[in-house]
Amino acid sequence: MILRRPIPAVGIGYRSAIGDWTRDNLAHFDMLEITVDHCLSSGESVASEIFDLVGQIPMTAHGIGLSIGTDVPLDLAYLDRVAAIDERLQAPAYSEHLAFTRAPGRDLANLLPLPKTEEVAEGIIAKVRLVQSRIPVPFLLENISYLFEWPESRMTDVEFLNLICRETDAGLLLDVENLYLNAHNHGFDPHAFLNDLPAGIVKEVHVAGGVTVHRDFLARPLLADSHSHPVPDGALDLLDRVLVRHKPDAIVLERDDRLQEFDEILADVRRIRARVDAVQSENGHASALVATSD
Amino acid sequence: MPARLLQRQISLLEYLTSADAIFGEGIDAPPVPHLRGFDLAPLRLEACFSHEKRMEKIIAAFPRTFELLGDDQATVVRDFVAACPSVDISRIENARQFYDFVCGRWEAAPPQPPYLRDVAACELAIANLRMRGKAQLPPPVATEPARRFRRNFDAVFLPCTYDIRSIFEGHTSEGHASEAQASETPARRDVMLAILIPPDNDQPAIFEVPASVYGLLAELGTWTDRAALGPMEGLDELISDLADHGLLEVTSEAGH
Repeated sequence: MILRRPIPAVGIGYRSAIGDWTRDNLAHFDMLEITVDHCLSSGESVASEIFDLVGQIPMTAHGIGLSIGTDVPLDLAYLDRVAAIDERLQAPAYSEHLAFTRAPGRDLANLLPLPKTEEVAEGIIAKVRLVQSRIPVPFLLENISYLFEWPESRMTDVEFLNLICRETDAGLLLDVENLYLNAHNHGFDPHAFLNDLPAGIVKEVHVAGGVTVHRDFLARPLLADSHSHPVPDGALDLLDRVLVRHKPDAIVLERDDRLQEFDEILADVRRIRARVDAVQSENGHASALVATSD
Repeated sequence: MPARLLQRQISLLEYLTSADAIFGEGIDAPPVPHLRGFDLAPLRLEACFSHEKRMEKIIAAFPRTFELLGDDQATVVRDFVAACPSVDISRIENARQFYDFVCGRWEAAPPQPPYLRDVAACELAIANLRMRGKAQLPPPVATEPARRFRRNFDAVFLPCTYDIRSIFEGHTSEGHASEAQASETPARRDVMLAILIPPDNDQPAIFEVPASVYGLLAELGTWTDRAALGPMEGLDELISDLADHGLLEVTSEAGH
């Protein structure tokens, strides 16, 4: 079976809570992003629901459980299980966050930033190479949203990412929502970030919508990456800029809360497609099609 | 000499999972030396987000338990946070961690209401079943007597001191009891409950299993020939009924 999808393919992150709806609405999406950890640890029923989609729609693989930034050796058994899932999904790429979520004795289940130093980058580079040696599909690193900064950080976000990607040939899964809110929360120019990325490094894109958080202990409101609301226009404007200099294979809408707001999800997919079409029209080329064999 | 990154990551996670960070206790006090130089306000926000995400997972597994905890909720959660930092990302592991915590707490001081222990145990069993998904049982044999059968190992048998089935009946899909049923107090009587996903449903169901039937099911841990049970009035009907409820796997094939 040959599955055709446009480039970039536009889809959503698969969530089992709306699995029935997703399966009934596959025609709205060019692809799905599968969180490999959901196949590994959410039970047999979730895994089989996901594997049943193979052959129906192209899927790419995303991880949340590697914790590549934890200063301990990588869990090779976990990587081998991920490789098996990727193969079963026929995923063209596997992405993970440039972050850490746990340390011995604690698992926060939340993505935390790393100190942005050359020494830390060296450790990550070695681990990325190890991932690449165990998983046969291209490995992509994702920029996370972060609320706090390590005091010893000496590099900017883009310098840190570029160093690791340059040394490893890893691609970038650029989360434009994370860029949008990091720029707001930490006061940097997101366009400068995008300008500093080497052309073509962005292989996949995440978009999402978050919330503004007010707490009495915060000096000012912060934006949070809650994946709960429509994608803000500001993040879509950044997507436009990305599409001018990069040719991502996939653009994935992430949604983890208010999942029953199906109209919002479909509207966001349409808004993303409209942005893609507009940029491609302006650049004078139509959406290409790529065949995925099954 | 600066501390190794791992030591600082451990210290950071210990702080982010602490009651200090989550509930704002001792916010003005500097955290551990390894964390000097961090801005505490965004760390607290990170801690709150992580805690809220974790509690969402736990409350989703124990909706009725939390409803019944009532005014004690805040104290229980605060003590849980202090005693049991997050050690696993998965929903079910966090649920088990919470269940173990409340069971330990209720050993020291019986819960109020007293049937809470049974409700929590039942909800953990349901969470486990949902996680595992529906077992692919062969369809019950309808037209001819079952020749061989065994207990469905996916069914959870839960001895309770209260008949808590009313707590789980008439709930909305979000797990909230209607007002009438929320005020209904379960009867105090020893009862064996079976929790499983029946063949004709996708959602877990709770059945009472009489002691004699449980005794029979307990003996059916391996495939057993009908003939081995000897003549017994009503046995075929009972087997058929248990199979319909998903408590027995049955086959009309002969054993080897």
